[in-house]
Amino acid sequence: MLSRIAESLFWLARYIERAEYTARILDVNFHTVLEQTKDRYRLHWDPLIVMAGEEERFRKSYGEADAQAVFEFLAFRQDNPSSIVQCITKARENARTIRDYISREMWEDINSLYFTVNRFSPAEEMAAGPHRFCDAIRFGSHRFHGVTDATLPHDEGWEFLRIGWFIERAEMTARLVDVQYHILYDAPAGISGADNHQWMAVLKSVGAYEAYHRKYHSSIEPEKVAEMLIMHPLHPRSIRFSMTEVQSGLRAISGSEPGSYANEAERLTGKVLERLRYDKITEIFQLGLHSYLNEMLQMCGSIGEDIARSYFYYAVVA
Amino acid sequence: MPLQGLFGDYQVGSFYDEMFAAPDQPRPHYAKIFEKLASMVPSQFEERRQHADLAFLLQGITFTVYSDGRGTERLFPFDLIPRIIPHSEWQRIESGLAQRVVALNLFLQDVYGKQRIFADRKIPRSLVYSCKHFLREVIGIEVPRGIHTHICGIDLIRDSKTGEYCVLEDNVRTPSGISYVLENRLVMMRTFPDAFQAYEVLPVNHYPAELSRILRSLSPRGGDDAQIVLLTPGIYNSAYFEHSFLAQQMGIELVEGRDLIVDGGIVYMKTIHGLQRVDVIYRRVDDDFLDSLTFRPDSVLGVPGLMGAYRAGNVALANAVGNGVADDKAIYAYVPAFIRYYLGEDPILRSVDTYLCSKKEDLNYVLGHLPELVVKAVGESGGYGMLMGPTADRERLEEFGRRVKADPRNYIAQPVLPLSRVPSYDPALGTIAGRHVDLRPYCLYDGEKVTIVPGGLTRVALQQGSLVVNSSQGGGSKDTWVLFGED
Repeated sequence: MLSRIAESLFWLARYIERAEYTARILDVNFHTVLEQTKDRYRLHWDPLIVMAGEEERFRKSYGEADAQAVFEFLAFRQDNPSSIVQCITKARENARTIRDYISREMWEDINSLYFTVNRFSPAEEMAAGPHRFCDAIRFGSHRFHGVTDATLPHDEGWEFLRIGWFIERAEMTARLVDVQYHILYDAPAGISGADNHQWMAVLKSVGAYEAYHRKYHSSIEPEKVAEMLIMHPLHPRSIRFSMTEVQSGLRAISGSEPGSYANEAERLTGKVLERLRYDKITEIFQLGLHSYLNEMLQMCGSIGEDIARSYFYYAVVA
Repeated sequence: MPLQGLFGDYQVGSFYDEMFAAPDQPRPHYAKIFEKLASMVPSQFEERRQHADLAFLLQGITFTVYSDGRGTERLFPFDLIPRIIPHSEWQRIESGLAQRVVALNLFLQDVYGKQRIFADRKIPRSLVYSCKHFLREVIGIEVPRGIHTHICGIDLIRDSKTGEYCVLEDNVRTPSGISYVLENRLVMMRTFPDAFQAYEVLPVNHYPAELSRILRSLSPRGGDDAQIVLLTPGIYNSAYFEHSFLAQQMGIELVEGRDLIVDGGIVYMKTIHGLQRVDVIYRRVDDDFLDSLTFRPDSVLGVPGLMGAYRAGNVALANAVGNGVADDKAIYAYVPAFIRYYLGEDPILRSVDTYLCSKKEDLNYVLGHLPELVVKAVGESGGYGMLMGPTADRERLEEFGRRVKADPRNYIAQPVLPLSRVPSYDPALGTIAGRHVDLRPYCLYDGEKVTIVPGGLTRVALQQGSLVVNSSQGGGSKDTWVLFGED
């Protein structure tokens, strides 16, 4: 398979995943805020901007974060490269360069998602609230997963999609947990540990609220939420689950056996997974959650870079 | 039968109308579709039209128009009323096109080879050598199996009085449009299944398989496992949809210049498991951009060193390099002579009368009759560098006259041809009206026989009174039906 096609598949999946994740977080936070007092607004909206990695750009345009500003910025802004509309646009551009490779249904699906997203009027949606818009994105992303799974041969190209999807998901989950903790621990006393609305929102945004209750049979406790999102072996949005998928994808492409590795990306993925399997959440908290997650994010970054080095780029030899 | 419903205000006019022999009197092969349409309520038709548009939009069968800094995507308008060609009429077209393709191929073999035609004084060497797309770099290259014109799109129009088919233009470089032929048929079958049931229409969908067979046969290494690729300039090219469509239909890789590399005279593509040899390139990149070491040094669309690999016979290109000389508009006037010279036959299809401004008496005639003529720059295509005499204002006529006088070799002129008309739906009027059409059949040549998918692309000038069928100027297309029989 052509390197360029592999690269486009990888990014196609990443952009779709980023759009879906952003939509989930936006939607859930908006509705949580409805039941909050005004002085706590900031606690909800600031993390979202930090998470998108676009705080500086946001402050320049809006100053203070509020529901309207965050919604517009994360959903519609052309000058925010991570906005949902931009992600869908870039996903479609990537799909367009490989439309001979992907199935016709996949192309029609991503193309129609693009037209759907662009038919929304930002002004109307901002008046109506983000639910309708975010729902459309989430549904669109799920549908694309389904169409892909059902119509694309599960060969190397499919593996690159899988790797893109799950490395993006691992990173987004790591950022979500990191940012929430960070902000809560910085908050004035009295609203940190006991405040479980925030954590309910986190769980709901990754669709893990019910699963949490099934597993822990307890009230919402930050440590358990973190444990669930970082190391749950089977919840599809946990970091561990995501990295397991990345590992399977990488092995399917290179043919490496368990216990060995063909490139740096596989070595690092294996290393991350070892930790996720054998660390205990109490140990992680002792070491410091922030530095732990930060290290995870750096490793994910290196894995992405090495995938590019191993499969996408050719040194100029002519 | 009086005209009614969608045909309410239909005017047959003074042009050759392909559906009507006279007002109220459809030709036999259009009778059934006419009845069907005439019995439809406008809103029913409109509903089907919207279904068809949506199908094209969802598949991204659009072309991009750049304005206000943002590209907007437009549909290539599709008209739901098919153009119908009876079988006997098609057989004549088919044999005429085949004859022409073979002659053009022999001409290209000759001018880039032994050059007998100059020695026999059938065409001046200076005329050929001064063609914009004649490439001296190609002289002496032996192309695989002697084929230069693997894919030709030859434009036909119909005489406004007799309805006779004439050749307007030969496109033997990288003609596009076949994807619309195939997609139009699919959408048409989905939106108007009942119309097909009334006719026996010849299928068109064997084109990709036939093209793939020909490409495979060119592989310098032989065998069935030839690596074939389609080279595209990329997603910003207006024909990108077609490139990806054909690659997918043929099951070959769609590559851009940056995916390929030449090393030691061999072309490779960059895959996730290392370099892989490429045998045949169906290239949709123009000659000038193919190889920055041989042609335009600023090109990033091609592959540096490609011509070296081609010359060494390590890779086959389709179409061959240098074909542009054969569809030069000045050379066009000589194609009937090529048919007589190379094949010893009379041309089956007529050409349009052409004045070569490089000839003194023709130049004088052209300058004296500009308002009646169409003047075209010889090396251009797609409606660029053209003067439409009857509709041009005085200033434009004078300006063009000066241009022709300054560089007569660069221009030819032809009488204005009122193209034939086919009934087409006008969404603004909500009724059916006569609109001008041309026809581009696609010819595939494997060195022995010419295969033409029945019909081709019917382009239609959707604006009232317009003769310009180009998509950039409000043109659209129709599904073209060649019938199994006569009606």
